[in-house]
Amino acid sequence: MPSHPEGILESSDPTSEENPRTQDHQPDLQKLHIQSSETDSGKASQDSALDNGHDDSGEFVVTMLARSKVEEQGMGTKDASSPLSETGTPLGPPSHRNEDVTADSWRQHRKHVFVLSEAGKPIYSRYGSEEALSSTMGVMMALVSFVQSGDNTIRSVYSDEHTVVFTQRGPLVLVSVSSSRQSEQQLRQELLYVYNQIVSMLTQASITRIFEHKKNYDLRRLLAGSEKILDGLLNLVDSDPSILLSAVHCLPLASSLRDSLSQILQKSITPNLVFSILIAKNQLLTIVQEKTVIEDARLEPSDLHLLLNLIGASSAFQAGEIWTPICLPSFNPDCYFYAYISYLDPPECTVCLVLLSTDKEAFYSVAECKRKIEEAMQTQNALNSIAKAHLYSVSQVGVSDLRHFMYKPFDVPDNHRQLTQFTSPEMEAPYSSEEERMRLLDLYRDMHSRIHSTSRPLKLIYHVAERETLLAWVTSKFELYTCFSPLVTKTCAINAITKLLRWIKKEEDRLFIRYPPKYSTTPNPSKSSKSDAH
Amino acid sequence: MLMIRPRMASGTQEKQYTPSLLSFFIYNPKFGPREGEEEKKILFYHPIEIEKNEKIRNVGLCEAIVQFTRTFCPTKPAKSLHTQKNRQVFHEPEENYWMVMVVRNPMVEKPNKDGKPPTVEYQEDEIIDSVYGSVLKQCYSMYKLFNGTFSRAFDAGGVELLIQKLEKFFYRYLQTLHLQSCDLLDVFGGIAFFPLDKMTYLKIQSFVNRVEESLSLVKYTAFLYNDQLIWSGLEQEDMRILFKYLTTSLFPRHTEPELAGRDSPLRPELTGNLLHYGRFLTGPANLKDPDAKFRFPRIFVNTEDSYEELHLIVYKAMSAAVCFMVNAAVDLSREFCEQLDSLVGPQLTLLASDICEQYNINRRISGPEKEPQFKFIYFNHMNLAEKSTIHMRKTTSVSLTSVHPDLMKILGDINCDFARVDEDEEIIVKAMTDYWVVGKKSDQRELYVILNQKNANLIEVNEEVKRLCATQFNNIFFLD
Repeated sequence: MPSHPEGILESSDPTSEENPRTQDHQPDLQKLHIQSSETDSGKASQDSALDNGHDDSGEFVVTMLARSKVEEQGMGTKDASSPLSETGTPLGPPSHRNEDVTADSWRQHRKHVFVLSEAGKPIYSRYGSEEALSSTMGVMMALVSFVQSGDNTIRSVYSDEHTVVFTQRGPLVLVSVSSSRQSEQQLRQELLYVYNQIVSMLTQASITRIFEHKKNYDLRRLLAGSEKILDGLLNLVDSDPSILLSAVHCLPLASSLRDSLSQILQKSITPNLVFSILIAKNQLLTIVQEKTVIEDARLEPSDLHLLLNLIGASSAFQAGEIWTPICLPSFNPDCYFYAYISYLDPPECTVCLVLLSTDKEAFYSVAECKRKIEEAMQTQNALNSIAKAHLYSVSQVGVSDLRHFMYKPFDVPDNHRQLTQFTSPEMEAPYSSEEERMRLLDLYRDMHSRIHSTSRPLKLIYHVAERETLLAWVTSKFELYTCFSPLVTKTCAINAITKLLRWIKKEEDRLFIRYPPKYSTTPNPSKSSKSDAH
Repeated sequence: MLMIRPRMASGTQEKQYTPSLLSFFIYNPKFGPREGEEEKKILFYHPIEIEKNEKIRNVGLCEAIVQFTRTFCPTKPAKSLHTQKNRQVFHEPEENYWMVMVVRNPMVEKPNKDGKPPTVEYQEDEIIDSVYGSVLKQCYSMYKLFNGTFSRAFDAGGVELLIQKLEKFFYRYLQTLHLQSCDLLDVFGGIAFFPLDKMTYLKIQSFVNRVEESLSLVKYTAFLYNDQLIWSGLEQEDMRILFKYLTTSLFPRHTEPELAGRDSPLRPELTGNLLHYGRFLTGPANLKDPDAKFRFPRIFVNTEDSYEELHLIVYKAMSAAVCFMVNAAVDLSREFCEQLDSLVGPQLTLLASDICEQYNINRRISGPEKEPQFKFIYFNHMNLAEKSTIHMRKTTSVSLTSVHPDLMKILGDINCDFARVDEDEEIIVKAMTDYWVVGKKSDQRELYVILNQKNANLIEVNEEVKRLCATQFNNIFFLD
């Protein structure tokens, strides 16, 4: 085995392909093979303990398959470009990578996020290039290690304008500089998401191993092109309440339709398939889990968020079929799943199928599952039905003065094994503009931080402000955040909540996945499926 | 021996430590800009035993933190640093002069079996920045009240004089800080006003006018009763810190004679003066003493503009106390003090018993006090008026509150939420212990109520607070 973690990036020549679904053709393939090895036996045994004895513990493989179009875009000839980098036409706003870091506009960003290695080497900056910010990041590292040298740990710095939060995960230091007035706890949770997204691409064991070998390794070599994914994650963190609530947002769907979709997934299986996930408009339609997997652990909302972000952030995935290793950090930070990702409704690309397998060689059999699923959905005209599904309006609840709400139930059947979910209507006037939406989310975030304060948690908050009245309420059965018009009386608000809870009860089969279906793909179910998954 | 065992087991209980002052220092980066000269930046460092290099390192960290935050906003540098073990609060009261207070987080010590050292768990979210930031600002204000500004001292006598003044003041002052009992009242730093009917108020005003007329040396006067303010000629900010000094430091040191009560037969013998009960709390303890010194503490007011240095004369008769402030350039003689004593003593004695009588009548009218279902804190930013039924006593040594510290911290949280916006707001929360806490902000006023009706619902809580506002605050709070 090679003795250095770096310098061993190799890319195989991509072979052009027409249709990856047909067996006699080879799909476009770009393979990045990165290996690291142990230099002494002591280290080797330590590593294998860490990896629960995986046979490929010293190796991680990133593979991408894409359609023939890739060649036309000239992508196929690029050497060693990351599989996770932007390959299609760029979507969304242009990159902030080239910003002038001395300009006022740079300072005025709502939230900066920096990732650096313990040696002070820049790994990621949300705005501005890492090179331009290397001295700033050097200072950050100096502050961290200075406080550390006093047998202490730096947590945060507050000024009238900013909250700076430091957190260290293994050999990585993550820093958030925010003027959003979010709580330290929330900012730290967001940094953990950033760390986990990096882990989802590299695994924690590899990160640890790389820095054990070379303290000042430049991790950007392995993350090249994946800035978009971290950028996307941070945009998601700012704009999507699911991360705040640590819950998954399901697209409301008639339970009969959801059931039939689940059944389709349930029938299209292959050995070592562990999760089948159907997503529409970035919301969950249904998820089917392998029986023995679910016995051991459940899929954490955060892992699903990372997966969704990975898909959403890279338009490369819209190109066709993707086969990529992905680590689900909350499930197991040290091993990979192999994800098959394909959109079912090109060119709109709103309905996405994700199949997770533990077998890295299973591409063709998993692709076959997709074919079956697509076929079954066509027969039932399911895509049309899905296209009609959309978020609901708060007016459907029929409570005047109620402008918006977020509801997270705890009383779902089999709660401890279920994916935590929440429901929320569309944000309508007066919260239709980007700015107002963000303001409402910030109000929710304030309430969330107070009600879930680590040292002084609360049961209920009623907040009358100038432009709205808010109520947050946590019980053993649910967590609820509501927004009313500012002049609502307390009596009205209480009545509204009674009505709202009744409405949710009535609609719960449509709003949530109540009984997540399972399947069995492992011939010899083993109890230790969690550690076997890689 | 067997009998002792259970007791030994109880000896292995958790130990709770309250927040405490780890260090306190003042530095000016301009005084030692070159490498190797870092020590010159340090103007004051507590505790004094800390080794030189350690001091330099700790000051260096603060400088680095401040500089680092300037990367993101040049005009708004760091205010506090949170670490696992402690909390550091920064304040730059005058340009380039930095004050830093390091407070150890509260912690729980959990004993381990088998003679292993105990596990220490730091409670990192217990300290509220705004509270300790206010305590630090108060430290500066108190220093300035008795010493003037840092830069004036530096201009007058260089670094040496400044260091000398800082050491003299803070060595003693820091011992009076009781960080474990700091709370929302420190954020307000308000003034308690004595409620009074118009007639009595006019009597006091005319008394002040008469005295100022007769004793033309008197520049400012302040009148207090029962540790509460009635009249003040000082600027609000100066009165605020003087009030703090009087009520938490000077008065508590002189309470003993009053404890005997007005009608006590012991009283005349105690004071030795049959004409009146007046006496000096600052300056001469006994006018008849031939060796009496006529030295009064000096205070600095209006430091922003006219920068006045004054003698502080505090004179008290029964529960009434008057501060007379005289230009420090004038030497105060025995004659002046005797004149003041004979003029003010009898009048103030009379006035004090008038106020006392009036106060008792008012109390009787309002009926016997029922144990109320609520406790509250009120603060008005416009006149700094403060009222608390939560705090039973605030002295130099300790501030006693009648509610659980966690509830006090919830008040602090609500206050921080109010500070974010200028608009009128109301926040009602239900704590895990089922206590209800209500915060209301209207115009420049803030009211915090803690209700002990655990089974009440939101609507009942609202009704209760409405009643309180109607009876206590003439419906100032009109939201909802």
